[in-house]
Amino acid sequence: MNGYLVFARKEVQEIVRTWRIWVLPAIVLFFAVSGPFIARYTPEIVGAVAGAQLGHLDLPTPSYLDAYGSWIKNLSQVTLFAIIIIYGGIVSSEVRNGTVLLVLSKPLSRGAFVAVKVVVNCVFVAALLCVGTLLTWALTLAIFGKAQAGPLWSAAAIWLVLAILYVAIMTLLSVAIGSATGAAGAGIGVFALLSIAAIWKPLSDYSPAGLPGRAASLAAHTATSFVLWPVLSSLVASVVLVAIAVVVFRGKEL
Amino acid sequence: MNDAIAISSLTKRYGDKLTLDSVDLVVPEGSIFGFLGANGAGKTTTLRLLTGMARSTGGSVRVLGQDVASAGNPVRSEIGFLPDVPAFYDWMTAQEFLLFAGRLFHLGNALLRERIELLLDLAGLNDTTARIGEYSRGMKQRLGIAQALINAPRLLLLDEPTSALDPMGRRDVLDMILSLRGRTTVFFSTHILGDVERVCDTVAILDHGRIVAGGPIDELKKRYGKQKVVIQVTDGADALAHSIERCDWATSVTRGAHGEIEVAVLDVEAARHQIPAMVTAQGTGLVLMEAGEMDLEDVFVELVEGAKS
Repeated sequence: MNGYLVFARKEVQEIVRTWRIWVLPAIVLFFAVSGPFIARYTPEIVGAVAGAQLGHLDLPTPSYLDAYGSWIKNLSQVTLFAIIIIYGGIVSSEVRNGTVLLVLSKPLSRGAFVAVKVVVNCVFVAALLCVGTLLTWALTLAIFGKAQAGPLWSAAAIWLVLAILYVAIMTLLSVAIGSATGAAGAGIGVFALLSIAAIWKPLSDYSPAGLPGRAASLAAHTATSFVLWPVLSSLVASVVLVAIAVVVFRGKEL
Repeated sequence: MNDAIAISSLTKRYGDKLTLDSVDLVVPEGSIFGFLGANGAGKTTTLRLLTGMARSTGGSVRVLGQDVASAGNPVRSEIGFLPDVPAFYDWMTAQEFLLFAGRLFHLGNALLRERIELLLDLAGLNDTTARIGEYSRGMKQRLGIAQALINAPRLLLLDEPTSALDPMGRRDVLDMILSLRGRTTVFFSTHILGDVERVCDTVAILDHGRIVAGGPIDELKKRYGKQKVVIQVTDGADALAHSIERCDWATSVTRGAHGEIEVAVLDVEAARHQIPAMVTAQGTGLVLMEAGEMDLEDVFVELVEGAKS
């Protein structure tokens, strides 16, 4: 069996047989299930909480697009934060606990070690996204009686590009910083910078900073500006970041 | 005979600290080579350079005829490596880890299952189905040796292989190393000199990043193995040690764990005559005076202490 496949198999087994199978899926599934219910019953919840303070203010009747919006917002905030924290140790955890020595003293290159981790974890995130989106869509259809699939899946696809970018960012930070906590802190810093950058239109239009806004617009089924450049720049940036991570890792003392 | 390892002018610096200082070392193929040194001498750094886990500051490292820095996978295919503290995936069982390791070497399933059975038996782990996370340090060490042998390597690099083992485990590992003689080159670092004397044919002694001696053990004993005199006195051992140090027949004076004085001597007859006279002159009593040949441990202490002074 090819070394890439052997190591990929180990990565998959590690996800399935350790805590990693619980954390991210639990977050994704919680939002997938709770989102449509919260969207549908928001007026009732607000009414119950605010009571008389609401006066005669009529809240808009919720639609399936609210459930979609809630799903994408949760993905772009809490789930992305979870990705940043979990993948802060994507490479450094193996370096710090020493398992890397027994793996890399065998015929597996450092490039393969990093690349396989990125690919397997991106596939894992994509699989979770598919399950979560499917669940959101099915529940939304059941609750609202109508749920057009296009806006939800196109928004989810845009978010997947964003998630891949963050896995790549965290891979580089994990290799360069060497501490999972340090890398997670730096990752949150990158998240803040990209959020601020999204305010400036040229950056929003042509860089990864525009992805969360595009995903939200698609989910809301509102007019969405051109998505090609943010998607393309994110994918290119992801490849470049992983390539840099490989180069940095090759030069590391283990 | 080809060289399994050829190190030339190898230097490794971490910031201002010089860990290896122009190390030259040749390990003939088929030999069992002991790499001796106190803790912090640079043994682990040398092994990391040999496996490509670290990069040298200067000099060259050739393993099985190939440059370690550039050869990559082809050279690693023929090496087995046990780090000083082997770390495994705790969620795997020993069998799963050996399967994973063997597959990284592209071994076929039939051969792999045969080897796993043999190695689990050798490591004394064939009866356990527990996950590695539940293993003791000794069990991990034995599994570490098993995984280093999964590819039937031409060169086996072992960093302190017996350090975490009980006496029976140590004996088994040393027997296993002996059984590889002639088939596999074994390079192992240790500070346990008894292990080296038992299995190695050739050694090198590393001290503060420099090779201070090397060669076949018998030759080393002949070259550095002066005679020694062990003395025990009723009191005044420090003063006596100072007096002996000034004698031209004494090359080194060390103190043993129980207060005895060990003197490496060039002329044992001169020592036999003069030491009792010195003890008498000091007004103390002589409890013990024995003369004998130096063993490897004495040679090691002599060379390392000599390098310090």
